[in-house]
Amino acid sequence: MLHTRVGTLELLSPLLTGSGTFGHDGAATRFVAAGDLGALVLKTVTPRPRPGNPPPRLVETPSGLLNSIGLENRGLAAFLRDTVPKLETLALPVIANAGGESVADFERMAEAFDAVACFAAIELNLSCPNVKGGLSFSASAAAVEEVVGACRRRTRKPLWAKLSPNVTRIQPLAQAAEAAGADALTVCNTLLGLVIDWRSRKPVLGAGFGGLSGPAVRPVAVRLVAEAQQAVKIPIVGSGGAQCADDVLQFLVAGASAVQVGTVNFRRPDAVSRIAGDMRALLAAEQTTVAALVGSLQMSRKPPPLPTTATAG
Amino acid sequence: MEVELAEALGRVAPGQFAMLSPGDGSGPLIPRPFSVYDQPAADRLTFLVQVIGPGTQALAAIPVGGSVLCTVPLGNGFVVAPAEREVVFVAGGVGSAPFLLYGRERLRRGGKTTLFFGARSAERLYDREAFEKERLPTVYATDDGSLGFRGNVVACVADALRAGRVGRDALFAACGPEGLLHAFARFAREEGLDGELSLETYMGCGYGVCNACPVATEAEGPLGGWPYAKSCLDGPVFALRSIAF
Ligand SMILES: Cc1cc2nc3c(=O)[nH]c(=O)nc-3n(C[C@H](O)[C@H](O)[C@H](O)COP(=O)(O)OP(=O)(O)OC[C@H]3O[C@@H](n4cnc5c(N)ncnc54)[C@H](O)[C@@H]3O)c2cc1C
Ligand SMILES: Cc1cc2nc3c(=O)[nH]c(=O)nc-3n(C[C@H](O)[C@H](O)[C@H](O)COP(=O)(O)O)c2cc1C
Repeated sequence: MLHTRVGTLELLSPLLTGSGTFGHDGAATRFVAAGDLGALVLKTVTPRPRPGNPPPRLVETPSGLLNSIGLENRGLAAFLRDTVPKLETLALPVIANAGGESVADFERMAEAFDAVACFAAIELNLSCPNVKGGLSFSASAAAVEEVVGACRRRTRKPLWAKLSPNVTRIQPLAQAAEAAGADALTVCNTLLGLVIDWRSRKPVLGAGFGGLSGPAVRPVAVRLVAEAQQAVKIPIVGSGGAQCADDVLQFLVAGASAVQVGTVNFRRPDAVSRIAGDMRALLAAEQTTVAALVGSLQMSRKPPPLPTTATAG
Repeated sequence: MEVELAEALGRVAPGQFAMLSPGDGSGPLIPRPFSVYDQPAADRLTFLVQVIGPGTQALAAIPVGGSVLCTVPLGNGFVVAPAEREVVFVAGGVGSAPFLLYGRERLRRGGKTTLFFGARSAERLYDREAFEKERLPTVYATDDGSLGFRGNVVACVADALRAGRVGRDALFAACGPEGLLHAFARFAREEGLDGELSLETYMGCGYGVCNACPVATEAEGPLGGWPYAKSCLDGPVFALRSIAF
């Protein structure tokens, strides 16, 4: 009933973990029951070690979380040596997530991940800032096309482009990723935000700006999924604010074939299993399946006619 | 606050913690960390919760019999020293929480153990009867002098060290507000004392997945292979020599 496909990838459940919200090494999968988590998406790994940002790295906002972890990770070499052997023992699909500061960085990551047999797909974190110019790779269609195209030449594994919501229109970026050979799009990463301690005149987070996640962003993410889905033929993986079965089902109807859950894992480590159980009950009650719901959104609703006495204007 | 768990737990180690939030979803998005205070039965835990902001207010508002989301046991806990080693607990306010289990364990194993328990005033030495009931040797310190030593708990420990009531080669274990821990860490380093700190780092998940509770490590220390440790997994208890705190 929960079965879904993202391109060629068959998944027992549409529920995936969002990168950076369920660890690097699979240890947290002990909290979820088999069959509930479709795939584990790993935290971003970068070619070189990154210590991460100074604390505080997290602050709560109304119905949301602002984070600036700073992609803390020990770098590709340590990841391949220390972490991959642990991932090889997991009994569920694992999706690696790559970050970098240049196109060459991403190419190197794609090539290295391609060689890891247990990775079912590779997700590119295009919210990373490009040292050349300082903007994120996800900020322009040209940059998306360049980096996705470069990675495409390095791997035959399914390649997912994770887009940023911090753009005026998502469609050109979605189309650029598709044209460059992405197999799926993840829509979307966190929304750029700022929380200020006005007394000290300083940002609350150690790094200044942060990325907003959690229920506050869900309607924005669902809207972006619906827009991206109309612009491309490749499958979409939703991400942003899903907390419960109802939220996940909204993403599916909007056009997502699978949904990543992130912030809700911080509330409880077995969140994925709770959501999966609730989804089974809701789908059974509605006599439908995940596959039947994906992209079933009926958008247009006509405005009501004006009363005859009203004057237009 | 007492929580009945759905499943029985093994013995919780002193210094381990739980992430708590109201089970009905009221309260903030993410739970808050609290040291396990006592474990009256395999499926029962108690906590000392000081109400300071939205998370603790929401916990305080849970009616008796209400549901609580409780992820436990988390973190490493204190290294319980062998009987030969003298142990000195340094607690500020609700920082006394891990020392009830730790104190009981020490009393069971034997060995000199003293709790230095400080707060602003006598009525803020929460639940001190619990320690008295265990007959754990305790020295109180209050800022206003309403009970025991007049002054903060670090000054009180310094006084006891000078007077020889506690030994310089004891293992010190400190828990409490950040200001107290900083003062104690400075003092312990100056005096060359060996000890552990239980930190109250701001946490996201509590189980090692979010990277939001970094603690700067001492480059020369046992955790020096990486600039930050995770307070929730590598801690919340850290050897003084392993962190740059
Ligand atoms: C391992 C550990 C054990 C603790 N044990 C106890 C205990 O036994 N009893 C007790 O009363 N308190 C304990 N604390 C502190 C307790 O977690 C905070 O007081 C609580 O999180 C405050 O939440 P709030 O929403 O009420 O206040 P807020 O308004 O959110 O915050 C007030 C202060 O608490 C800090 N704080 C907020 N959220 C967190 C968080 N998620 N993690 C850590 N600090 C935070 C903030 O930095 C701020 O300084 C412990 C903390 C840790 C990390
Ligand atoms: C603490 C934290 C760390 C994150 N780290 C990463 C990361 O390393 N790479 C990445 O692509 N996305 C990262 N994200 C974004 C999430 O994967 C997800 O896209 C986003 O949080 C929105 O989903 P949510 O509201 O369900 O959390 C992180 C999010 C959070 C909250």
